[in-house]
Amino acid sequence: MMSSLPFSRSLILIPLHLILGGCCVLFAAGAANAAKVELSPEHWGNPAGERCVSCHEKSSAGLTRQWHESAHREAGVNCLDCHQAKAADVDAMEHEGEIIATIVSPKDCGRCHTKEYEEQAGSVHAEAYAKIKTRIPALAHRMTGGAMQAAGCDQCHGSRVKVLGDGTLDPATWPNSGIGRINPDGSKGSCSSCHGRHAFSKAQAREPSACVRCHSGPDSPDKEVFEASKHGMFYAAQRDQMNLDGETWIAGRDYTAAPTCTTCHMGAAGNIPATHDVGLRNAWNLNQPVSHKQYLVLFEDGGKLERPDTEAPPRRGSELEKPDGSIGKVRAVIAPDRRRGVMSLVCLECHGKAFTESFMRQFDDVVDLYNSKFGEPAQAIMMALYERGLLTPLPFDEPLEFTYWELWHDEGARARHGASMMSANHAWWEGMYLVGRNFYSRFLPQAREVAGDQAAEIIDPILAASGQHAWLNETAQGNPILGWMPPQPEAPELEPESEPEPEPAAATPADEDEGEDEEGDDQ
Amino acid sequence: MIKLNASRFITRHVLFALVAGGLGGVAFMFFLIEFDHYTSTNAFCTTCHSMTYAEVSYQDTPHYNSPSGVRASCGDCHVSEGLIMATYDHIVGIQDLFKQLFGPDYDDPVVNLLHLPEAAFASRAWFSRRESATCQRCHTLEAIQGQRANTAAIHREETEGKSCIDCHYNLVHRHVPTEQTFKREAWNAMVEDEFGLEPGTAERILAGEG
Repeated sequence: MMSSLPFSRSLILIPLHLILGGCCVLFAAGAANAAKVELSPEHWGNPAGERCVSCHEKSSAGLTRQWHESAHREAGVNCLDCHQAKAADVDAMEHEGEIIATIVSPKDCGRCHTKEYEEQAGSVHAEAYAKIKTRIPALAHRMTGGAMQAAGCDQCHGSRVKVLGDGTLDPATWPNSGIGRINPDGSKGSCSSCHGRHAFSKAQAREPSACVRCHSGPDSPDKEVFEASKHGMFYAAQRDQMNLDGETWIAGRDYTAAPTCTTCHMGAAGNIPATHDVGLRNAWNLNQPVSHKQYLVLFEDGGKLERPDTEAPPRRGSELEKPDGSIGKVRAVIAPDRRRGVMSLVCLECHGKAFTESFMRQFDDVVDLYNSKFGEPAQAIMMALYERGLLTPLPFDEPLEFTYWELWHDEGARARHGASMMSANHAWWEGMYLVGRNFYSRFLPQAREVAGDQAAEIIDPILAASGQHAWLNETAQGNPILGWMPPQPEAPELEPESEPEPEPAAATPADEDEGEDEEGDDQ
Repeated sequence: MIKLNASRFITRHVLFALVAGGLGGVAFMFFLIEFDHYTSTNAFCTTCHSMTYAEVSYQDTPHYNSPSGVRASCGDCHVSEGLIMATYDHIVGIQDLFKQLFGPDYDDPVVNLLHLPEAAFASRAWFSRRESATCQRCHTLEAIQGQRANTAAIHREETEGKSCIDCHYNLVHRHVPTEQTFKREAWNAMVEDEFGLEPGTAERILAGEG
């Protein structure tokens, strides 16, 4: 790690230049939130596309009305500009004399919105299906049934859209606007996941609700976290001051009332350019059994890959396997602290530097605590049980596997997300409190039962190694939180000395708890 | 000027020939009417097993089961109106009989499905050449109301230069893309998938037919 550090520093500079360079380009283009389309207007406004409208005003009045009121319509972009296809395209179909495709893929949008297309390609959003495709069968197919893939997983992660031999789209894979959709043209993603067709309203995509369809619920409650945070509080109270319809939308300049999801994860702020790589500013991966800070590897072909910082950063020019299994040549590596740095610059539009850094410290401490006290030991115990054949390789055929899954995937993720976005409730009651409850009252007892005679050999050393579970052995330490304290031994001779002795042990945690209760009331 | 001597010209033989020919002609007309009628029925068409596959999808559509009780038979759509054109269509249709007897084994569901696209393209071209005349035996453009608010307006205002088939294909029989966008490989793969055949089987079947 020490030897790799100076090397990574030199690598870091390149993307920084790119970022700053991109920044200049963006500002030259008018500091727009979305980059100006550079394609000249003669490339759109297909006259044949004008003929679609009069029929669709009657056959599908709603979407036509949305288009009528859209910026696309204003710019002269019509139905055929987006939907036109070549006869050889796998999903091409004849429609009223024109060859069209139902699905407008990011590649299609990218004909005009090149910058956004290139940024989203390879992002955690675009790879959302690729990331889980091998895991889908375990829950969606085996535990429930195939129908749940279309109605559940694929709705957010995207489907692999299948074009049937008769030219129709397989209903098991379409309709779908999941963000990592594998499109018939091979491109990944779905712009309409966030930008509702056919209005493509800027304001709509800047709203937190653009993210809620997927970033809510037990495993990634970002909607709930945001709403319960002070950012969400200000957004709700001052939504009318958000300038959501603004031509440009630069935090600190075009609006200051509150940040939304877009502001911090994608938006332009101060000198920071907007990006459609939504994970670019994320230092951590918070949705793993154990969180790691992540390098962002940029490939020469535009692809991207996240690598944990426990590994040495890949060298520039070296070859690496990409998420889809192909081999790519490394163009640059963005280190986690650089990613954190970009995110922090957004914070600085409204907060001081020390405030920002200290907040990040509080957040990192929670992730470190989760990792070291619960995530790593739980993972080590599970691996040991699998390796010794005490658990079958088949996931979810044993109760412990559900317990472990929920420990990191649900409450564990809530705790980390809650800390990342300042919802005390999610960091604690919905998060780490439940992690602790699960770990001690379900996970460990179940794991011990599975381990049987080998429990002492497998589990105890792992707990001991973490050094954070020794409190369980201090069984005589009372605390009034549950309303009962052990009777104090009567020692009349040394009364003045014996009295304060139990107090520090009992009173300190009690004070802390009271403090938390007050915070809870404040919410 | 030649004086026509009717009594001399109309001999007994001529009279007999005229009456016999007249009666025969009328009988032949009746025969043709009945023949065209019978050969347009679903029962006749499906005497060839190969046609029963087309029947399956048709029976799922409103052309078979309409709320009003009107049922379009094979011939109502696929055989022109009028004795002359109906007879002509049937004569042309004899080529299908030859194909059935001497061509590929259309009775085999795999072979049948592999050849369906060509049949669909030919049929659509036929409808198109006749400007969807058989559709208009029942459907009158001016009378189309539809169940949705603007169906009538679309048919009044958006159909200039078009006949029914230009929009309404894939209406009764199994979905087949247009010839422009049809992809044989994808179709073959679909057939193989549907019948659980090894990849490449479809191509071999089609090649084997010469």
